[in-house]
Amino acid sequence: MNAMSLSAPLLRSILRCAVAAAIAASPVFAQDLLAVKAGRILTVSGPVVEDGVVLIQNGRITKIGKQAEVEIPWAAKVIDATGKTVMPTWVVAHSQGGMRNFNENMQNVPWLTVGDAVDPASPYFEDCLRNGVGAIHVMPGNQTLLAGQGMVVRPFGRTVEDMTIAANTGIKMSLAAGGSGRLQQIRKLRRAIADVREYLADFDRRKAEFDKEKAAGAIPADKKWTEEVDRTKKGAVDLVQKKAKGWLYVPSFAELDEALRLAQDLDLQVVLGNNIDEGVGLVKKLGKPVVLDDAIEYFETDEETQKEKRFCSAKLLADAGVPFALTLGQGGPTAYPWWQLGTCVRHGIARDKAIEALTMVPAQLIGMGDQLGSLSEGKLGNLQILTGDPLQATSWVETVVLEGQVVYERSKDPRLQYLFEAEKAKASKAAGPEKKETEKKDGAEPAKAEPAKAEGGKQDAPKSGNGNGRGVR
Amino acid sequence: MIRSLPLGAIALALAALLPAQDGVTVYRNARILPGGAPAIDNGVLVVGGGKILAIGGADTKAPNGAAVVDCAGKTITPGLIDASFRAGNTPDMNENGDEVTPHLRVLDSLEPADPSFVRARSAGVTAVHVMPGARSVIGGLGVVLKTHAKDPQAMVVKHDASLRIVMGAEPSMGNRAIRGGSVDSIYYRRPTTRMGVVWAARKAFYDAKEALEKSADAPPATPSPGVEVLTRVLRGQVTAVTTARSEQDLRTALRLAAEFGYRTVLDDAQDAHMLVDELKAAQTTVMLGAPSATAIAGSAGADGADPRSVTARLLADAGVPFVITTGSNAASLDLVREAMFAARNGISSARALDAVTIEPARLLGIDQRTGSLQKGKDADFVVWSTDPLDPAAAAESVFVDGIAVQVLR
Repeated sequence: MNAMSLSAPLLRSILRCAVAAAIAASPVFAQDLLAVKAGRILTVSGPVVEDGVVLIQNGRITKIGKQAEVEIPWAAKVIDATGKTVMPTWVVAHSQGGMRNFNENMQNVPWLTVGDAVDPASPYFEDCLRNGVGAIHVMPGNQTLLAGQGMVVRPFGRTVEDMTIAANTGIKMSLAAGGSGRLQQIRKLRRAIADVREYLADFDRRKAEFDKEKAAGAIPADKKWTEEVDRTKKGAVDLVQKKAKGWLYVPSFAELDEALRLAQDLDLQVVLGNNIDEGVGLVKKLGKPVVLDDAIEYFETDEETQKEKRFCSAKLLADAGVPFALTLGQGGPTAYPWWQLGTCVRHGIARDKAIEALTMVPAQLIGMGDQLGSLSEGKLGNLQILTGDPLQATSWVETVVLEGQVVYERSKDPRLQYLFEAEKAKASKAAGPEKKETEKKDGAEPAKAEPAKAEGGKQDAPKSGNGNGRGVR
Repeated sequence: MIRSLPLGAIALALAALLPAQDGVTVYRNARILPGGAPAIDNGVLVVGGGKILAIGGADTKAPNGAAVVDCAGKTITPGLIDASFRAGNTPDMNENGDEVTPHLRVLDSLEPADPSFVRARSAGVTAVHVMPGARSVIGGLGVVLKTHAKDPQAMVVKHDASLRIVMGAEPSMGNRAIRGGSVDSIYYRRPTTRMGVVWAARKAFYDAKEALEKSADAPPATPSPGVEVLTRVLRGQVTAVTTARSEQDLRTALRLAAEFGYRTVLDDAQDAHMLVDELKAAQTTVMLGAPSATAIAGSAGADGADPRSVTARLLADAGVPFVITTGSNAASLDLVREAMFAARNGISSARALDAVTIEPARLLGIDQRTGSLQKGKDADFVVWSTDPLDPAAAAESVFVDGIAVQVLR
């Protein structure tokens, strides 16, 4: 296959996409061939490949193998990551990142969607790329009852449409008591679901009566039933009809009983908080994999002796044989994948299992197990290049490739340059008011205000297009 | 309910693994990072009577009949030292009665059974330096403690280890004159500005200097305990620790010290990267609080500071001594994790480990007793499951004065 034979059909598809973009999500995959030569490939689904190469074409992985065995097409753009580690990007199965306010004041709002709140310019998505995250399932926050639809996004793109991988991924539900107490919250959620069922029963009854009267001739034969399900109830109706998945946040072991009850008549994905050591048996009863909150390590204090005990919710589940997906926080140490995996390994979880909990398992839980979560032929061309082992604190994400397109390079990350470059720190050093004056006269902006510009000639990222002043977008 | 059972199990495990007090134990086959010295692969550590009897390579001699512990695959480091540790009830460590209280001792507010000590030692910290809170301009005297001892009194390693001075907005936070009230009212806590903070400190040191000069001729008529402490600082007998975050406050701290001729350690120096040369010239030691903090990773720091991840590396390159601490940040992680974040930010892992072992020991003047693994020093050490700066590292066994305070496996 060569580049010429590709161009014509692809041009057509680009045109099609341009039209389609106005209505639906536009794919951002690169049209050309990409070859990544790696010192070490952690495929996650298969064995580790030393001195390997990954070929990505039209945004999908077409070949993985030893460099000695795989022929790199002449037209391919080659990224040389010799001596580095290449692995799939992380998948976050549940997050409230990237939205300015993640919960509506009202608690019962199943008609909302996070698509209207995800801010492509949020620093959260920048951090995602810095940490090698390639797909995030964004959901409304936990302070809610029924909170609307989530979506799976890639942390790259200028609009929500650009970022979208999958929309309407399920309805967020929560048992976290927002100040009103645990039992009250359980009662409210039962009431909300019962209300939807009553509405639906009433809707069906009226429709049946209409049909009956029509059959009896009381209603003219040409009159049709026009009433639709109330749009503000649609999400919740889908939920009780099991057409939509419910993503239920369960803050602690105390709400697990109710979660089990709800799981009997809804299609539920449970997201677990911590403090679950008393409830592992109940989690097991769910019979399904669960998603864990980012805080997987927690302390409990004995009320009498005041002695503290350290728990790891992931380890408790691993011991009980419950599959789980890890998630990442929006700041603090749990935002780092290596921290989460390191915590798991420290508590005795096998390294491979920990890695799967942030790749394969979450990919499956968001229904994209065939697209994301591992480097295998046919899956999306999402990968990250790391300077070292993914479980070491000293490893850094060098490059992120999403669907065959390089979307992040550490060497062009202005935020990291600002924080890490000695020259820059010195440049902003205020050696008295006189020096500040002259700096202003020269027209050079202080590094504090605009790190990317202060870098000057060193910054070779284009100033427009996909690499503006913020480096990655 | 269920919690007493595992605790009992741990106690049993402790009893079983506790070496006989006077017995000698040999730890073999470990990778030893002695602190301030090169790593020893396949090393041997001999401890007995609460002291380190010998340390060295595989051929190190151990007495006959000593208990042997195989540490293959493990790493042994000195017990970590936290040079700014947050212990117990913080409000109880801020004396609101006066903004200058050099004579107060934080030890009097400390509860030896506080859970923070347990948490610290189970994370490999064997000694801590606790200072009074940061709400006063001159808060009082700090103390260095071991995180465990048979009786609470024995925890103290060094009394009057430091005098805490605080620059910036914190001592004046919330201090306002009552509307319509008199500035002389006892309900009116001063200072209310940065100017006021520095003035309060300057006034105190001025009085102390005057007392010192007068005492050369005749003893002072009414020796005040606060002035007495400050004269000890001026004589160089007590280390001044000045908490200063922003560049402005750091410069003020250095200026004040130069004005009265005392040396000061700079605590939580978030803007240290801006005045590396000045810090070097002033021969000061810098305490870096919590490199893991989100502030260092991006947003604005405390007191208008602009912290950067490069700071530790700049200080290391310039040869400015620094230590890594947890106390300045409420969200800080275990001390070893803070060292790990410093290593991530670009200093060598050996340097990062020194910054939580031998460097703080030197800073606090306790390096004759602890801070590194050397013959004759206290048997304060940690057996880690792997390299301590690996995120997966667990402090499997922690010893304070040879007594096991944590045994995981």
